[in-house]
Amino acid sequence: MLIDARNVTKAFGAFRAVDDASVSVEEGDILGLIGPNGAGKSTFFNCLTGDLPVTSGSVSFAGADVTRLPPEARAKLGLARTFQVPLTFESMSVLDNATIGALLRHHTAREARAKARDVLQRVGLGHVTDAPARSLGTPGRKRLEIARALASEPKALLLDEAMAGLTPTEVRDAIELVRRIHGDGITIVIVEHIMEVIVSLAQRVVVFHQGREIARGTPREVTSDPKVIEAYLGRRKVRHA
Amino acid sequence: MKRYLFPGALVVLALVYPLLVAGSPVWERLGALVLLGAIGASAWNIVGGYAGQVSVGHSVFFGFGAYSAVVVYTHLGWPPIAGAPLGMVLSVLLAAIIGVPTLRLAGHYFSMATIAVAELVRVLSSTSEFLGGAQGLGGPAMPRTVFDLSFISATPFYYIFLAVLAFLLGLTWWIERGRMGFYLRAIKDSERAARSLGVSSGRYKLYAYMLSGAFTSLAGSLYLCMFGFVDPESGFGILISVKMVVMAALGGAGVLFGPLVGALILVPLEELSNSYLGGRGAGLTFVVYGAIIVIIARFLPSGLLSLFERRPARPPAAKNQPASGHAD
Repeated sequence: MLIDARNVTKAFGAFRAVDDASVSVEEGDILGLIGPNGAGKSTFFNCLTGDLPVTSGSVSFAGADVTRLPPEARAKLGLARTFQVPLTFESMSVLDNATIGALLRHHTAREARAKARDVLQRVGLGHVTDAPARSLGTPGRKRLEIARALASEPKALLLDEAMAGLTPTEVRDAIELVRRIHGDGITIVIVEHIMEVIVSLAQRVVVFHQGREIARGTPREVTSDPKVIEAYLGRRKVRHA
Repeated sequence: MKRYLFPGALVVLALVYPLLVAGSPVWERLGALVLLGAIGASAWNIVGGYAGQVSVGHSVFFGFGAYSAVVVYTHLGWPPIAGAPLGMVLSVLLAAIIGVPTLRLAGHYFSMATIAVAELVRVLSSTSEFLGGAQGLGGPAMPRTVFDLSFISATPFYYIFLAVLAFLLGLTWWIERGRMGFYLRAIKDSERAARSLGVSSGRYKLYAYMLSGAFTSLAGSLYLCMFGFVDPESGFGILISVKMVVMAALGGAGVLFGPLVGALILVPLEELSNSYLGGRGAGLTFVVYGAIIVIIARFLPSGLLSLFERRPARPPAAKNQPASGHAD
């Protein structure tokens, strides 16, 4: 078990954004987290990465209890992430962005830069290494966030709506990229709105609704689950004349 | 070779400047003051510019340095410069004490906390008998040995300051190119993203703050050696902090030579207004700084040096079109 979250609850005051969620991810998995808006997916995701401390429950990563560890300590253990709204380092070049990630496993800036170049090439940003990160559009930024995360040589990569705001063609390219990353032996957790992405990528899916897990299984299983359909589309009302 | 011509010429000019203005005390003094201002602003730049943690209370370190220098003279009879290492050590400790709780604060809240600390220390210092109270303390009136650094001309100070500034800029350049430089800029751009990539942001911000504090303190000690006097206002006053911020921001915060450029403009301006307006000019200095802050914020958020760095802002697409016919 690479990631094991048990009975995680995250409360903001009286409101439980995540309520007693238990999710585990095997090494080599691609796990999809889906659910309608406000379901608590992103909150749960941020509990896994350490951006939000849990109210109760525990999170372990690669056999270590990381419940109380800050995000940087989890990153050192091999947990990398991207952000829903890209947080690229805007004042830096594309190469420097990736170099920051690579410095986690490389001692000198020179070695880190070489690793960064390599990763940028792999994600398809090799032609813009010297451009400022702020010159990239949304797809470029999302790619750069993935490159930066990969440069830190993670065991698991957590993607928070990495496809949001992309055109259908860009989504297909991005899916291809995630497949390749997974092929390199990196475990993937992906939070996503777009069903197409989940169906074509994830081996297992966990569905959140109002902070609770309501279904889990293969993409096919959950998309035909009446509870999931209800959560997304609402209850079918039958009117009698 | 051409790219070394301009910087090379500047270095030579800096080295021979006192010879060019020899015999004119006003100009000799001005040169030394520009360098002293540049040392303070460059020290501030490490934490305020590179790491983006805008301290507006750096006078607390400047004052520590100035008072350390004068205290070792007043109470121990040592030459004031001997107090410089003491001031630096105390400032590093102080930075750790202030930094651990306040560097967690974001943006403006950090700035306000640093102002509060500096003002607190200023008020405390004016009530301290040991520090000479509101009257302040003076260094040796007559030089006893050469170590008292009581020179009639400002030229020896000029070269001392130049050496310190060169060392500080060299150190900053070295940091900028290494892991810490990358990490500080990452923290400035997005601390959350930096942490997600394994950057211990709290630790690096603290390192930057301590280093910055140490060199600001050295600037304070050097100030005392040259002026031979410090009181709570000239040591811990908020104008000291504001000057560092404005110099760095004017030239370019987070840019190696930004603070030096800022000092080259602001220090002569200040000396000019002081000499022409005399005592009435004191209040006007604040007005001038206020106006400069407004102008920078509105028109030049990245400082003057950003005007010469248009190249990186050019869209990268041009590089992929060999047919475009641009020579560069």
